[in-house]
Amino acid sequence: MAFASIFVPNFLLQAVVRAEPALHECGLALIDQSPPLSRVVAIDETAAQMGVEIGMTKTDAEQFAGVKIRPRSPAQEKAAHAALLDIGWSISPRIEDTAQDAIVLVISGLTSLMGVEKEIGARLIERLTACGLRGNVAIASNIDTALIVARGFAGVTVISPGEESQYLSRLSVRALSPPDETAEILDRWGVETCADLARLPILDLSERLGQEGVGLHILARGAFARSLVIAEPAHSFEEEMELDEAVEELEPLSFLLGRLLDQLCARLTARSLGAAALRVRFELQPSFENAVDIQEAFRTQKQPGLYDKQIQLPVPVRDSKMLLKLLRLRLQRNPPDAPIQKITLAADAARPRTIEGNLFLPSILDPEKLELTIARIAHVVGEGNVGSPSLTDTYRPGDFQMRRFRIPQETFRTNGVRPMANERADSRMSAGFRVFRPAVPATLAFDRGCPTHVAFQGLRGDVSAAAGPWRTSGDWWREDPWEQEEWDLEIHFQETADRRDRLSFDGFHPHRGIYRLYYDSLRRGWFVRGVYD
Amino acid sequence: MYIELHARSAFSFLEGASVPEELVQVCAERGMPAMALLDRDGVYGSPRFHGAAKKHSLRAHVGAEVTSVAEWRYPLLVESRAGYQNLCRLLTQMKLRAKKGEGKIRAEEMAEMSGGLICLTGGQEGPLVHALTEGGIERGLKSVEQLCRTFGRENVYVELQRHFCREEEARNQAAVQIARRLKLPLLATNGVSFACPQQREVLDVFTCIRRHQTLSTAGRLLSANSERRFKAHEEMSQLFFDLPEALANTEILSSRLQFTLNDLGYQFPVYPVPNGESQMHFLRQRTLDGMIHNYGSENERARQQIDRELALIEKLDLAGYFLIVWDIVRFCREQNILVQGRGSAANSAVCYSLGITAVDPVGMDLLFERFLSEERGEWPDIDLDLPSGDQRERAIQYVYERYGKRGAAMTANVITYRRRSAAREIGKALELDPETIDRLTALVGSWEYKDPSDTLERHFRDAGLDLQHRRIRKFLELCHAVQDLPRHLGQHSGGMVVCQGQLDSVVPLEPAAMAGRVVVQWDKEDCADMGIVKIDLLGLGMMAVLEESLETIRKCHGDEIDLGHLPQEDSAVYTALQNADTVGMFQIESRAQMSCLPRLQPRCFYDIVVQVAIIRPGPIVGNMVHPYLKRRQDREPPEYFHPSLEPILKRTLGVPLFQEQLLRMAMIAAGFTGGEAEELRRAMGFKRSEARMKEIEVKLRRGMTAKGIIGETQEQIVQSITSFALYGFPESHAASFALIAYASAWLKCHYLAAFTAAMLNHQPMGFYRPATLVKDAQRHGLKFKPIDVTRSEWECRLEKISEKFAVRVGMRYIKGLRQETALEIVRQRGIHSFRSIEDLKQRVPEIQKHELTALAEAGALNFLSNQRGFHRRDALWQVERAARRPGPLLEIPEATPSTDRVGCGSPATEPSPLRRMSDEERLVADFRGTGITVGPHPMAYRRAEMKKLGIRTAIDLTKLPDGTHVQVAGAVIARQRPGTAKGFVFLSLEDETGIANAILTPQLFAQDHTTVVHNQFLLIEGTLQNQENAVSVKAQRIKPLMISRAETPSHDFH
Repeated sequence: MAFASIFVPNFLLQAVVRAEPALHECGLALIDQSPPLSRVVAIDETAAQMGVEIGMTKTDAEQFAGVKIRPRSPAQEKAAHAALLDIGWSISPRIEDTAQDAIVLVISGLTSLMGVEKEIGARLIERLTACGLRGNVAIASNIDTALIVARGFAGVTVISPGEESQYLSRLSVRALSPPDETAEILDRWGVETCADLARLPILDLSERLGQEGVGLHILARGAFARSLVIAEPAHSFEEEMELDEAVEELEPLSFLLGRLLDQLCARLTARSLGAAALRVRFELQPSFENAVDIQEAFRTQKQPGLYDKQIQLPVPVRDSKMLLKLLRLRLQRNPPDAPIQKITLAADAARPRTIEGNLFLPSILDPEKLELTIARIAHVVGEGNVGSPSLTDTYRPGDFQMRRFRIPQETFRTNGVRPMANERADSRMSAGFRVFRPAVPATLAFDRGCPTHVAFQGLRGDVSAAAGPWRTSGDWWREDPWEQEEWDLEIHFQETADRRDRLSFDGFHPHRGIYRLYYDSLRRGWFVRGVYD
Repeated sequence: MYIELHARSAFSFLEGASVPEELVQVCAERGMPAMALLDRDGVYGSPRFHGAAKKHSLRAHVGAEVTSVAEWRYPLLVESRAGYQNLCRLLTQMKLRAKKGEGKIRAEEMAEMSGGLICLTGGQEGPLVHALTEGGIERGLKSVEQLCRTFGRENVYVELQRHFCREEEARNQAAVQIARRLKLPLLATNGVSFACPQQREVLDVFTCIRRHQTLSTAGRLLSANSERRFKAHEEMSQLFFDLPEALANTEILSSRLQFTLNDLGYQFPVYPVPNGESQMHFLRQRTLDGMIHNYGSENERARQQIDRELALIEKLDLAGYFLIVWDIVRFCREQNILVQGRGSAANSAVCYSLGITAVDPVGMDLLFERFLSEERGEWPDIDLDLPSGDQRERAIQYVYERYGKRGAAMTANVITYRRRSAAREIGKALELDPETIDRLTALVGSWEYKDPSDTLERHFRDAGLDLQHRRIRKFLELCHAVQDLPRHLGQHSGGMVVCQGQLDSVVPLEPAAMAGRVVVQWDKEDCADMGIVKIDLLGLGMMAVLEESLETIRKCHGDEIDLGHLPQEDSAVYTALQNADTVGMFQIESRAQMSCLPRLQPRCFYDIVVQVAIIRPGPIVGNMVHPYLKRRQDREPPEYFHPSLEPILKRTLGVPLFQEQLLRMAMIAAGFTGGEAEELRRAMGFKRSEARMKEIEVKLRRGMTAKGIIGETQEQIVQSITSFALYGFPESHAASFALIAYASAWLKCHYLAAFTAAMLNHQPMGFYRPATLVKDAQRHGLKFKPIDVTRSEWECRLEKISEKFAVRVGMRYIKGLRQETALEIVRQRGIHSFRSIEDLKQRVPEIQKHELTALAEAGALNFLSNQRGFHRRDALWQVERAARRPGPLLEIPEATPSTDRVGCGSPATEPSPLRRMSDEERLVADFRGTGITVGPHPMAYRRAEMKKLGIRTAIDLTKLPDGTHVQVAGAVIARQRPGTAKGFVFLSLEDETGIANAILTPQLFAQDHTTVVHNQFLLIEGTLQNQENAVSVKAQRIKPLMISRAETPSHDFH
């Protein structure tokens, strides 16, 4: 059997160049952006000649005039890898997705269709070039020889059966990718090339390096035979649809989404899986409105806008109708801001939920339905405003976060005693406090450091009792620090004709009340935080 | 008037953000008359607090927060000396039974030792808040009643703190109720944790470090606001307007607290003299005995000096102190531990006669007042140099034994935040990623010299960090803010304090990290400030080298060497010194020393004293080196700042080189008294000296003006004196070091093998790495034998080869080999020799694979085979097999005698299919595995090529005239950028012929920074400078050279 291996050297860099071919002509350094430190992770030959090194900081690399710096792009890497797989599949159905930068495909039987092996190799190189990639191809009678030689020799290399060791002999043993520990041992032994390794007596090697050594020895001789691990693209459970005409309206989009979801759910069903999360990704048509000239328009076109959302599901789901409803709700809330030209739906697969009913327990809300309900509420109130509020561990007044609402896993205690709804660790009574969000601006008058009069939202009142001030400040290392001084004030309001109308934030209208007001030192103003019940 | 009675300083270690001096400063600025410092579980900051308060005429109350077993803390204030002693004992008791940095006090212990102490009910961490939280007001009431039972009703104050927090106010109301019910006084405090509001950020970061959190995750562990700052009377009276008695009580309580650290009650122990003699009589006898031995009975000058000294010792009642030091020295001599006193003690003829020091102060005309003066009112300072390692430990343990565990302790060393530690810990708190932190930590504080652009800001930009980022900006600010704040308590390298009676009633004791050691809570300067006598038992690597050399010489050569009686005018020694051939010699081996030696041309012992003292930052910055050298070479006549100074400066040709000369100059030119001169000395040696020096400078100028010394002369004298603030040697100290320098030089010249072996056995020490020591010794004709498991021991030893001694390198040089493994190898081969690698593996079963590999790679297993030409790779081949455990079927039963196992089914010594290492590979393996090579220098392999390129050897340079354009190449063995050299960089390049020196201008260094710092081999092109045989190359161009991949080590002064 004949195998062809395609290897794309300097893959990270090529993935970026593929999207911006003009970069071919200059020195290029790729940085991994993890602020505040950015380091060079890949360079091209020109940059290397200029003195740029992998591991340098962005600042260091910037000092080399003529070197362009671009961020690493996982999206482009993924696309480049997909393209690599596509090239493989365009020739053979049997391919192995060996690494991000390398694949192997079976080419046996293709000679009548595509010519001799050399020609097949050339055709693969051609297709690589068409996809914006440069690479090496090696054809051999075993998989690993093809892979190793593709990494070691440029262009197309065809190895006839029996010639494997001859080709491999010139390569460094590092090309066999030995584990670090073994590589160190080989280094100490002075074993530099595959030929050096192949010369060692295999039995002695086995005594010293075990099966790992034997394996490397066979690899070094080009005698390692293994089966291809056929790539199964379905593992990703991704469905994609590129549209000839961009879609703008929700209804036709729903139709297309429904189709994709049906396919996705059918595949999940066939594998007895469900979707634990659904990711929807739209490539949006670029807008030319703001483009300065046509060149700019083309440049923009190459980098379309993206709409990327993920829907977490409480339990693995494979009901396409339910998923469609959820998707529609999400799209109604957050519609994409441009027509859609490509749709990608991807599901994170998981085992579906199985529940055995209990005769003696009241049935609880179906999680799928609950998720739908929450999505509907979120559609009305806005995302981030639905869930279970919980306090955060901070002195920042009024700070809280919304946690995702979940049905408790353990509905009952192990002894079967149901907890009382009002059972709390702290049974002490505490005063209720209504928080005004946002806080209401106020005006205060003071006498000898103590508030005497208060006015807010057209209301005026005298302070009959005051407690405070209480000072808090913090998060001084963040962009949004705070510094406040709070007072609890008992206020007697003066009756005015329009008071009732103005108290829109307050459900009840007593003549007096205890309010919490604060001075925000950073905003330099007084505000009403809320009222005690 | 409000008085703050509950403040913490940074000596609460990560619970306070200001040093005591800052607290005192704000207290004084607000016009408050007193303050109390209550640090957590200690009185660590009290001496500094006391000293600062004294300057501002404030009363410094002493106290501490003491942790109870229930985790809350008793805030305790010391009322009387008895109270202070109780506090010290309490702290000692809880600390000594716990792990370092921990400890809790039990209620019954507190009850037992509560006398003289006043207890507050505390703030957030106090007993009352704890009780209120646990069980409300009733529990709180009980808790305060319990305090009343423990301390007495009149000694308990109900404490109120107001930091504008709701919960705190609720607790305050409960506290007021309790105080009313129990009729206890209220006391307002602010629970101060920092001096000014900005330091709250430092405290927050400290909280994160202490609680292993980040600022984002610490939540409410951080401060709610910045109110724990120091507050003055006005602010506090506004806060407590409703409870004026709480404020008034602070003043009443403050007036009750009579104890200050002036009243420490420290007494030096009495030396037990035999036959009911007085200590003084006993000391006089021992001194006279020694005098006769050292000076003979006819030396009237010595007798007069000794009488004068003894009279002063008697007057100051210091006989006990001298006898105790003499006793330690006597113990060392009896135990064959090399010992020598240094420091100002070398100015004393009594110390010389007692054998404490080895320098003759009478012969050298040293100033006794520098050691002891009546005016000073403080203990003399005697430092003893001992061999580092076990020998010094024996001496320390002797002191513990003699004075009891609570009668002697080491002084502490307060570890403070430096650039690197600050960057690391603050980076973590701010959640910078580990890689960034590593990079920053490596970047900050690298070279000793800092040019104006060498700021943290620049380091940050270099590291690719955006200073516009708020978090990064905060990082930078915090790094600055925490500099020099205490981090934790360490142990001083050798300072010991002893006490008559219980030391733990003078200062709390703590366990040190090292087993069997106890430390006091104060550092050596604090101990000195508090009048506690300190004896420094310092470990000196060279003393250990000398000791081992003598032992080796005795064993191998059969010669008995007495270091006290070495030939004084040895020509070999002075020739070596004059030729700067001083690698390995104590204090005179550095590049700077070597460049000075050919110009100074030492001809007698005093020249060595000068040589040791002259290459110090003080003389260098004071521009004293060149004038001295010129005058010594008769190129200019001696000149004196002022005729009155001629007697002082005559023997150093008008140039002040020693501290004593500076002190005498101050006494004569500015009319300083002995005490004032001593103040000047302390300012010169003191690390917090800048402000002191300024004060003294004013006094100096005033004194000189009064004596009519004005204008340029005054400037010159002030300049000489202030430069010494940067560090200079006292003459006595230089003389003590010169003795050791001479001894090391003598041993190197006459017993090179023994000296080199000892040097190699006591690394790291000195200026050069072992690789350089080996190459230098080889150039002097010494042979080295490689590491060999059949012959080498753990240490390097001598082997006799055809009537000459060679050094057999010890197994200690195998990186990664444990000492116990090596010792077992030696033991096993003593039983019978190893027959193969497998045999070795079986008989030393604890040997690990990486150890065997390391031995094989270094060639130490080559001699296990009888095969001719068995090489390192053969051994590595065998090791890989021997180290791999066979399966259970093939495993040999444990009971099988090892001799039967040899070769059991395996041709263990057969050659391998691997090729022999090339020269280059051997070099790489040598340096990687041992850090040295006993084979040729890497440059030797490439000499022919170098020659073709016109590259000179190091030895060639010495023969060329000044100004020649040269190229020189070698392995970089030292890179220096001294703080005194204005940004110049000094490189030492080693080749097979010797060491060449190169000087880089700051501009060239900036231009070729990466080349200089990152390359092991360099080619330097430039102009040869040959100034009186001090040869160096002034670099014009630098290129990296690829000579070898071997990782040759370099000593870089970062």
